[in-house]
Amino acid sequence: MLFKISLSGIKARWKDYLVLFSGMIITTAIFYMFEAISTNDKFTTGSPVGQSAKFVFIFGSILLAIITLVYVFYANNFLMSMRKHDYGLFMMLGAKSGVISKLIILETIAIGFISTIAGIVVGIGFTKVLSSFLASQIHMSLTDFSAFYMPAVWMTIIMFLVLFMIAGFLNARTFVKTSALQLLRSGQQSDWKQPKAIRLWIQAVLGVLLLAGGYYAMYDIRKLKLMAVGIGLVTIVLGTYFVFNSFFVMLLQGLQYSKMNAKGLNSFTLAQLKFRIRDYTKILSVVSLLFALALGAITVGTGFQSMVPKLAQGNGYYSVALTNPSSKLKSLVGDIKDKSTVTYQQKVDPKAKRVYYNADQLQAQPLKYSKFTDRAALKSRVSTATVSDLKKTDSNAYQELWSLQSPITKSFQIKIVHANTFNRINVKANKLLLVRANNVDASAPTLTKITNIQAKQYGSSGTQLMAGSFVTYQLLKGIFGSLEFMGIFLGIAFLAMLASCLMFKILSGAASDKIRFDMLNKIGTRRSTLKHSIILQIFGLFTIPGILGIIDVVFGLQMFSRGGLLVGGAYQTFGVTTAGFLILYLLYFMVTVMIYSRIVVPKTKVEK
Amino acid sequence: MTTKIVETQDLHKIYDKNSAKPYEALKGISLSVEQGEFVGIMGASGSGKTTLLNILATLDQPTSGSVEIDGQDVTHLTFNQMADFRSKKLGFIFQDFNLLETLTARENIGLPLSLQNAKAASIQTAVTSAAEKLGIADLLDKYPTQLSGGQKQRVAAARALVFNPSIIFGDEPTGALDSTNARELLDTLTHINQQGVSILLVTHDPFSASFCKRILFIKDGKIGDEIDAGDKSRNDFYQEILEKLGTFEQ
Ligand SMILES: Nc1ncnc2c1ncn2[C@@H]1O[C@H](COP(=O)(O)OP(=O)(O)OP(=O)(O)O)[C@@H](O)[C@H]1O
Ligand SMILES: [Mg+2]
Repeated sequence: MLFKISLSGIKARWKDYLVLFSGMIITTAIFYMFEAISTNDKFTTGSPVGQSAKFVFIFGSILLAIITLVYVFYANNFLMSMRKHDYGLFMMLGAKSGVISKLIILETIAIGFISTIAGIVVGIGFTKVLSSFLASQIHMSLTDFSAFYMPAVWMTIIMFLVLFMIAGFLNARTFVKTSALQLLRSGQQSDWKQPKAIRLWIQAVLGVLLLAGGYYAMYDIRKLKLMAVGIGLVTIVLGTYFVFNSFFVMLLQGLQYSKMNAKGLNSFTLAQLKFRIRDYTKILSVVSLLFALALGAITVGTGFQSMVPKLAQGNGYYSVALTNPSSKLKSLVGDIKDKSTVTYQQKVDPKAKRVYYNADQLQAQPLKYSKFTDRAALKSRVSTATVSDLKKTDSNAYQELWSLQSPITKSFQIKIVHANTFNRINVKANKLLLVRANNVDASAPTLTKITNIQAKQYGSSGTQLMAGSFVTYQLLKGIFGSLEFMGIFLGIAFLAMLASCLMFKILSGAASDKIRFDMLNKIGTRRSTLKHSIILQIFGLFTIPGILGIIDVVFGLQMFSRGGLLVGGAYQTFGVTTAGFLILYLLYFMVTVMIYSRIVVPKTKVEK
Repeated sequence: MTTKIVETQDLHKIYDKNSAKPYEALKGISLSVEQGEFVGIMGASGSGKTTLLNILATLDQPTSGSVEIDGQDVTHLTFNQMADFRSKKLGFIFQDFNLLETLTARENIGLPLSLQNAKAASIQTAVTSAAEKLGIADLLDKYPTQLSGGQKQRVAAARALVFNPSIIFGDEPTGALDSTNARELLDTLTHINQQGVSILLVTHDPFSASFCKRILFIKDGKIGDEIDAGDKSRNDFYQEILEKLGTFEQ
């Protein structure tokens, strides 16, 4: 009987349940997708870094599991805020607490079960789309990678069912412990207390100092070394918490004392925000820290990626070297736009293990080589090799020429000889075609084809010894590619989940806010004024942690770039990633405003 | 000659009009409240008191009939016009949740003026004078949680009074108060009324009703009867109400 009533309660609020379900389904889908890709051997062994990438993925998995836990907790809170009244009523009517507990656990698990199954189905679709997209983006081959992966399905089911079971029991416990009357009236009154001024001051000063200290530590990583990470972590977490608990409260209080407060609904809006910020301290701190983590992950990930061409080209001027290229290879070279080429003659003496070059030719059309002038800033200089440079085996010029040898001649000694001597050597001369692609990223597909043909030609064992800087490019792309994938994936997943956590937290308060908005409506507040106030409140709650998160990232990146980890400008991709991030965040903000308004703004009673 | 503050003609309200089971809550109500009157509306539960009050207070619209408040027809206003009308002309005291817990008494009282975009300085003087009238001047910087139930209702009364409304509406304003606090609020309302503010009170409590000067009885969506306090003492009037309820509710 109660079960039926319970069902009808859900039906009446199906729109709110829809929000809950879509949030849960997306979360499950994200979790599945990550599991499917990270635990799938085909993916990890396909990438050049193999096992070490797997380790990074497992680390990501754990982070994802933690944020999922937090997410389920908030979604569940939202669920309970919708059901409190109904269950309170049942208890008032004399339903035994055991029966209520059973109902609550059943309902929570049922919701968990449905959303998990639906989430896995959606997740398989996501995986298909994302894996092929990412593979094309980072030149990773995903041959026979299947989006459906049984171990990942099991992981997801176990993870979420356990989470929901825990959530169900927790819910039941809180319910049984609260009296029916409290449940019925919960949300109607809040225990707002004006915080003490001295405590606010102490916390505010402490918070700002801690944040400043943390930022400084990250900035000064060169001196502090690993200590910087430890100091930064502790001070920023604590600082963020205090800043939310006091600094922003005081800031809002300052605004309340200004003349602005008496305008329209400002007094209400400011008070709501002030009240919320203290109430939300924990979640706002978590949001801003995770926001920073997520944004940082993406920025660093894509930052590494954009370093690759410079890093590769700094190591070697020429992208590929072709010995006696076939017509097919020649036509591929022809496909490369924006390039410079040079051809040298070469004679090989396999017995003496020597490669001979014509000095006159090297003088007439000199070899170019590149050399890092500032490795940390990824600055390199291109120079022209003189013949005497090339004769010194420890010179950069010699290194460049050596690196351009085919696998067959790699271990041979390079000899630069006069034209006469060169002509007298009685073997057929090889042609060595050196190709420099100025835009490696753009020519990568063609260059890949060339190296693939060469790999066949020399046998796969020769791959590592392949000539030219493009091999380095490919290798780095592989390593940084999985880092970038991790960064983007975790970044988006984090943002999506933490924004929904914030959304659910705000929506959980909607029921109690409804009374306030009803009252404001009665005393004659226009609907547009109410909506304006809602937008401002939610905007504040979204923006403040967002801004703090961005500041965290700005200083966090200092650590990477000054620490020499992220060579050559961690800020390169910062703008783009932040913009993308903000768009996604904005979307969540708008959805929250829409749903919240639907719940709290009194409906028009005008009949037409 | 007295002016009419509220005048309704043949009000009908049908809930769920287009559904399978429409329900007619008001079946032709005509009434008027004069400037400075203290009118009570009584009736059994479900008789349509709240429905009527919501329509008079422009929180809802009638299915047919007209409502004039302070000489203005309010039945054809848009949603925004209704809101503006409420914020300028109508004061409210409800049973519960009158105040915003996150605002001080001062801010709560000043809210209607803020909504009308009054100057900060003029809001301060209006708030202070309303608070003095109700004897809560020393409580202005407290938060609602620091006030007693009766004090809260007096703050609510001050808010209803602060912009000199044409009329104050109350729906069971004493419903959540104990007898001492209820008594205090009713005295306050009487005091406000004596200063010339019209009041319309919905209640089913005979004691609260005895403070009114005239009482309309609603039964099944129609006005069934009306009694006047005249020169009777409050106690006599109370007895009369009890008798009336006895006969009326059979
Ligand atoms: N929104 C609504 N939809 C449908 N019917 C309604 C609605 N509101 C009230 N009613 C019906 O209209 C009738 C009058 O309700 P109203 O709330 O005006 O009664 P009331 O006199 O205020 O009662 P009480 O003293 O219990 O508050 C009731 O029978 C009620 O069921
Ligand atoms: Mg009522």
